[in-house]
Amino acid sequence: MAAQQKASSASQTPHLSPAELSYLYTSLSLPQNPIRPDGRSPTQFRPLTAEPDILPGTNGSARIGFADGTQAVVGVKAEVEKTVLSADTLDASNLSQQQGDFAAQEGRDGREGAGSAAVAGHGSWVQVSIEIPGFRDDDALPVFLSEMMRESLVGSVAGGNDSSDEMAGGLKGRLVINKRWHWRLYIDSQGEEDPFFDDDWAVAEHLYPRGTTNSTVKLSSSVPQVRPPITLLVISVGENTIFDPSREEIAVADAVLAISVARDGGDKNLKLLSIRTIDPPSRLTQPAVPNSENVNALGATAPTEDVAVLNPATGEEEVPGVWRPRRGGVKRSVIAQMVKTVLKKGGVGEEVLEGLEGVEVE
Amino acid sequence: MSILNVFNSPTTFALATCVMADRRRINGPPGGTRPAIYATSLPSIKDADRARRQRQPSELRKIFLKTGLIPSASGSSYLEFEPSASLAAARANPKSLIPPSSALKLACTVHGPKPLPRSVAFSPNIVLTTHVKYAPFAARKRKGHIRDASERDLGVHLETALRGAIIAERWPKSGLDITITIIEAEDDRWWGDAPDSHDASWGMMNVLAGCINAASAAIADAHIDCLDLVSGGVAALVTDNDGGAPQLMLDTDPAEHRSIVSACVVGYMPARDEITALWLKGGTSKAALDEQDGRSGHEALVDGAVDAARGAHMVLGEAVKESMERALGQTT
Repeated sequence: MAAQQKASSASQTPHLSPAELSYLYTSLSLPQNPIRPDGRSPTQFRPLTAEPDILPGTNGSARIGFADGTQAVVGVKAEVEKTVLSADTLDASNLSQQQGDFAAQEGRDGREGAGSAAVAGHGSWVQVSIEIPGFRDDDALPVFLSEMMRESLVGSVAGGNDSSDEMAGGLKGRLVINKRWHWRLYIDSQGEEDPFFDDDWAVAEHLYPRGTTNSTVKLSSSVPQVRPPITLLVISVGENTIFDPSREEIAVADAVLAISVARDGGDKNLKLLSIRTIDPPSRLTQPAVPNSENVNALGATAPTEDVAVLNPATGEEEVPGVWRPRRGGVKRSVIAQMVKTVLKKGGVGEEVLEGLEGVEVE
Repeated sequence: MSILNVFNSPTTFALATCVMADRRRINGPPGGTRPAIYATSLPSIKDADRARRQRQPSELRKIFLKTGLIPSASGSSYLEFEPSASLAAARANPKSLIPPSSALKLACTVHGPKPLPRSVAFSPNIVLTTHVKYAPFAARKRKGHIRDASERDLGVHLETALRGAIIAERWPKSGLDITITIIEAEDDRWWGDAPDSHDASWGMMNVLAGCINAASAAIADAHIDCLDLVSGGVAALVTDNDGGAPQLMLDTDPAEHRSIVSACVVGYMPARDEITALWLKGGTSKAALDEQDGRSGHEALVDGAVDAARGAHMVLGEAVKESMERALGQTT
């Protein structure tokens, strides 16, 4: 199974038979009201517990756990590092400053002015590593997850919200100490016990308490308006959009998207930070054989029993109840629908963020 | 034999990658060294020297795509983007040793379908492996010999884009290796700019679009059945003048823009109007769209990327036709 596990970025799928896959797919793709194996509504999340500040050796830490025993622990460490502008970042304005009164600027907070790396920070100062038991650290899944998280974290306030000067430049800007020194942030998360793809969601939420503890440690001013981003895992099955999918549900998904959102400045609106498609594991499953093509079942069924019908969601001819691995991609309208469900007022994104704001961080 | 085993054992390898140290070669300093810069040379880095986009917002760069250049592979392709106007001007009339922008060049090889080794478990579908590597000299900052996180990330994106198109169940128990070497990468920003708050690895998105195009040409060259030729396209929201609302532009060269607010790359199959891979980065809420345009920013961005991919698809079609004609000429 090793090769197949490595083959997908959404791997570690459960071993379901084609019949089971077909059953799941059919119930999840029922128009309007899908039936999920655990009885949740399409936008309902599994209950989860989160507690911040559990590791005394870190600058910020958190643990998150689902009811089914999945959990993840995140620790954040900040270290002071000397800012080295490499050759590819040299900037004319920066250079002229340097050869001028370099010593005089040293003690000054470098957050004034705009444009130079010493002011705006650098994305590589945030380092994310994810460890999942059963995966090597160069496997597709951990690499993909850590890049995804780093991307939304680093880019989160890059749009620049004018409301608070403290957050100008986003997380990257916050890491600047002065012209010559900056913080380097190490975010390490460790999945534990029955890890599967949902971990990324759990982990991403960990970053939320992390960001706030961090802000209190480092700035101890009144900026907790700005929240770290969250990443939601959304799947589409047939015409339905389903949130917080379990492993079994991901296994039959037509499309899997990871959507990162954050609060847009001080107001209540959500803004989109990134979308990534994730390789749906349904493409790697084993197909079933309809009775009409099965030599062993010859004559056992009437020829009218399995007639291929067109699945409107995938555009493929399928015999009902006979599983076929998914092929092709996802329509643009489906993606737009999924993003809309996350972003709309009172939508899922807002609900999750509000829930997270209830986590107590001292 | 025992020594060999030690070196090949997965634990040793995992250890080596975990600390990311390349101990078999003598490498240069990882960050590069900074050349001496004299105060008299400073005025030469001027904002006026900045590369500027000469194309229309919806005009794509020309693509050079040729298949079958690597005879030992079952399929191969070479892709090159047209150099920007500023780069062409700088080559004709050099003022500085530093090129103003770069143009993407990459080579793709496809090996397979080939039988999987006996040690691998049964797979009812073709097992796709993608490997994207920058040549050490590809970018302005030198890349190491071991793939770093961004290169592996590109590999995952590429795999997602291709797997949706390949009809995998036609080759049970077989493997397909796709290897891409990036010979010249796109810049993330104009070289004279320091990274600012809008900074991200925007060049990677163009590289991914190029990888998708080259890989699907090479897959077609290897005669592997696909639903359609997947083509990659990039669109971005850029602000070139301060304070303006971000404009939607197709096939952006990051070196030509002051700042990129968000960008999107898609792997797209025109015949089915489906997206196999989507990677969108950055805030899209402030996009300047027409009044009557009912789309939101991210929808416009995805549509723009799809338009760019449609353009690339035409080039792909021509390249594949050429490859087919060559294959027919060889058989008769």
